[in-house]
Order: sequence, then C-alpha cells, then structure tokens
Amino acid sequence: MIRIVVGGQMDKDRVAEIIKKLGGDKVSVEIKTDIQAALAIKTNQADYYFGACNTGGGGALAMAIALLGMPLCATVSMPGNIRSEGEIIKEIEDGKKAFGFTPQHAEQVIPVIMNNILI
Amino acid sequence: MKFIIIALIGAFAAILANKGVAVFNDGLRPIMPEYLEGRMSKKALAATSFALGFGLVIGFGIPVSVAANIILIHSILLGTDIIGTWSPNGKKGMVISGAIGAIYGVGLVVGLKFVVDVFSMLPVNFLPELGMVSVPIIAAFATFPALVVAYQYGVKNGAITLALSFLVRQIVQYYGKFEIGSAKVALNPEGMALLVGMIIMIIFAVREKPDPNAQAVDLVSLFSDRVKKIKKNVPYLAVMGGLIAAGTSMLIIAGDPISLNLLSKGKNVEAALTALARGIGFVPLVATTAIATGVYGPAGMTFVFVVGLLISNPILAFIVGAVVITLEVLLLDFIAKFLDKFPGMKNCGDNIRTAMSKILEVALLIGGMMAANAMAPGLGLFIVVGIYTLNKISKKPIVDMAVGPVGAIFVGILINILYLFGLYIPVVIK
Repeated sequence: MIRIVVGGQMDKDRVAEIIKKLGGDKVSVEIKTDIQAALAIKTNQADYYFGACNTGGGGALAMAIALLGMPLCATVSMPGNIRSEGEIIKEIEDGKKAFGFTPQHAEQVIPVIMNNILI
Repeated sequence: MKFIIIALIGAFAAILANKGVAVFNDGLRPIMPEYLEGRMSKKALAATSFALGFGLVIGFGIPVSVAANIILIHSILLGTDIIGTWSPNGKKGMVISGAIGAIYGVGLVVGLKFVVDVFSMLPVNFLPELGMVSVPIIAAFATFPALVVAYQYGVKNGAITLALSFLVRQIVQYYGKFEIGSAKVALNPEGMALLVGMIIMIIFAVREKPDPNAQAVDLVSLFSDRVKKIKKNVPYLAVMGGLIAAGTSMLIIAGDPISLNLLSKGKNVEAALTALARGIGFVPLVATTAIATGVYGPAGMTFVFVVGLLISNPILAFIVGAVVITLEVLLLDFIAKFLDKFPGMKNCGDNIRTAMSKILEVALLIGGMMAANAMAPGLGLFIVVGIYTLNKISKKPIVDMAVGPVGAIFVGILINILYLFGLYIPVVIK
C-alpha cells in the first residue's frame, strides 16, 4: 500500500480523484493542507506528496520545499511546459517524494508518476 | 509620467528580485532560499526563473493585456523576476538589473501601444470586436464565491449562494437606485451580487473549526530568521507597493484579468471588489510562502491593487499603497496565527484561486469565441474551438485561460491575411 497525500493548493479534490482512479486499492489518498501534507512526508506517515497550483511550484510545493528541502521536491509541469515522461521518471528514480504541477496538466502528469511509483 | 512610473516599477522590481528581497512568481519564491543559502547555483536559479516565468508572460500576460489595452502585472513582474535572477550579484547587479528592468517596463508600454496601433491600421480593423473578449467576465465575475462555497461545502451550498447572489442582482438592478439628499446613488447589480456572495463565503469559512488531531506547525517560530529578514526589508517593499498602487491608479496596470477587464470598461468599484476578493485568496499563499522563505512579493498580498483601483490620485495611491504593504509585512505573524485558528479561511483562499481560474477559463474562452465570431462569423468559432482542443493535448500548451484572447487575436490577424488574398470579405456594418 502506497500512502499518498494531496497538499498543494488548487483543485485538490480533482487531483485526489485522479490518483484514486489510477491507484485503485493499491494506494491510500488523503487530502490535507500543504503544511500538514508536507509534515506527513517528513514524519513518514505518507510516501508521496502531490500538489497543484498555477505555477506548478508555488502553492503546490512551497511548504514541501520549506519543510522537506529542495532535493525531495520536483516541479513536473509549469505553465506552457510539461516535462517529458523520461524526465519525470528520472525525478522519481532520484528519490523525489513531492511533485508539483499545474491543475491544467493533472491528467497528463499524474498517470506518468503513478505508473512509475506503483511498480 | 506614465513612462516614469512604469520604468520605476520595472527597475525597482528587478532590483528586489536581484537582491532576493521579493519575487512575484509564487513558484520561484520557494526556490530563492535554496540559492540565497548556497544550495543552488546562480545558473540553475536563472534557468528555473526563466522556465517558470516565460510561458506565463508570453502565453498569458501579453495576450490578456493586448485584448484590453491595460498591462496585466504578470507581464511586468514575471519579466523582472527573470531580469533580476539573470543579472550578476553585488552593486553591479543592482545597476544592471535596475537599468534593464526600467527599459523592460517602458518597452512593454511602448510595445503594447505599438501592437494596438498596428492592429488599428490593418485593412480589416478588428480592435472593436477584440474588446468583446471581456463581455462574459463583466457579466459573470460575481459568480465565483458560489463556486468557492461549492468546492468547500458541497454543490448544494454553492447553489444556495448562487441563488442568493442572483436574487440580490435582480433586486438591485430594478430597485438599486435612490437619492440621498441631492446625491444620486446607483448600486451596481453585479458588484452587489459579488459582495453578498463574498459575505456568505466568509461566514462559511470562519465557522470551520480546526482539526484537533492535526499536528500544529508553528511556521513563524520555525522560520523566525526568515520572518525577520522580510521585516528588515519593509522600506523597500513599501516603495514597491506604493509604485504598483500608483501605476494601477493611473490605469497603466492591473493585477488580474478580471479586474483588468472591468477596469477597461471603467468599472472601478467592481474591479476593486474583485481585486479585494482575489487578495483574500492570496493571503494564505503569500503569507505562508513568505514566512517559509524570507522572500516577499513585490505586489505583496495584492491589496495594493485595491488601493490603486479606489484612489484615482496617483500620489495618494502611492502613499496608501506603501502603508498597506507595510502593514501586511508587520502583521505576518498575526496572519499566520489567524490562519491556524481559522483553517476554513486558508482553504477558502486556496479555493478562491481555483474558482477564479475556472471562471476565467470559461469566460475568456467564450469571450474569445464571441469576439472571433464577430470578426468572422462561423470561421471565428471554427478556429478558436480548434485551437482550444488542440492546445489541450499539446505537450507545450499555453495556459487555458489565455486560449480565448490568443484565439481572438489570431483570428483577427488571419482575416487580414485572408483579405489580402480575397478569401475574406469584411462583414458589412448595417
């Protein structure tokens, strides 16, 4: 069972729903405030953090970066630019725990991340 | 005067970004301490700021600005973020970033005017039709508090909020004019509907109790050094906030697409109300990122725009704007505590930003379609729908909100090209 928290700041319900649909019973998904969600990763109560906002890194990752440090965080999409599947996989292999993206790109990037953390 | 203000805004914002005092892009702010504290190279920071900001300037700031002929603040301040982070450190960096920032600011004003002038000289002038992009926003901006309530407390409560806003709107439209002494007061239906929606939204939000099981995180004491750093920078931030308020009061710039479009139609009070609501939405984001990073935003919590919209005298707007941003910074600790106590307000802030994006996306898309269709009936819709759907699956999509304005501008240019080849004949105005 992989434990996922949705922090971030925008469109949290939709992000959580996409994750649930993809993960089925292999994941548990919880929606929290960005601070609480980042803290859950820090205290090992959750494995991965997902967050969305209009820049892919501000509201989405600010608290995660502040509490976990930049090396655990990755922006996988930003306005006008979605990182490629290869780049996202590399971030996961590098041990990133928190992922930020824009709500507009949630449908594109979440499946890439989920496919690679579920195996 | 216009050029002086915009040059000052550009120069000052670029210097603040260069010195790590304030950056506008919320996505860049969390990364700033990584650089300032030596965990990230200048080169990586510059690359990141460019990647985060450039798409928004080109794909969002500029098109929205052209459609209404007022500069959306994103176009300036995302650019100065990039200028500031690209410029070298030290005194030299201050001079370079200031100079380039000033040129950039003036360049935007001149550039925008140039584009609008060129458009008006084209064989088929589509500027009057382009103005239609803002029609749906002007009519529908008041619906967003209902969406915020729906996000937070379910569709049913959202529907109730929408119904109440609607009732107020209709009543005000027909009975909202009265005389007090010799002064005639005409309440604005949309403005009042928005006000009612906002009040309901806030009542819902403050009633939410904190979760007793949640671990408390005292951000302010966790990052006390960073809070101190912001407070030390208050004088610079005050000047910056004052300049932005003055620029807004002179109708050069606006803080968000909704108030920008309202402002372009002379609806200052409605624009101010919207900017106020948006400011509330940005309080949690700006406060928490500022506390955790020690870096503020040049426009702060965006309340300086409200000041600029309400005060038409630029000098007075400058003073009040400076005071407002100073208060924001001095009250940071208090705001953080308040947000802990009323978690509903924090969620409300997040939801305001989500809701405004959604409404802008629909309203600007339909506005873009209406404008394009007015320029070229049938063909306009064909093209804007085409661009929107293709953009959806593109790997390098432009921001959804910008598709309407971009599409309308594209159709305008296209009909001019088609006209040259005899493939388009302007609609005869009856």
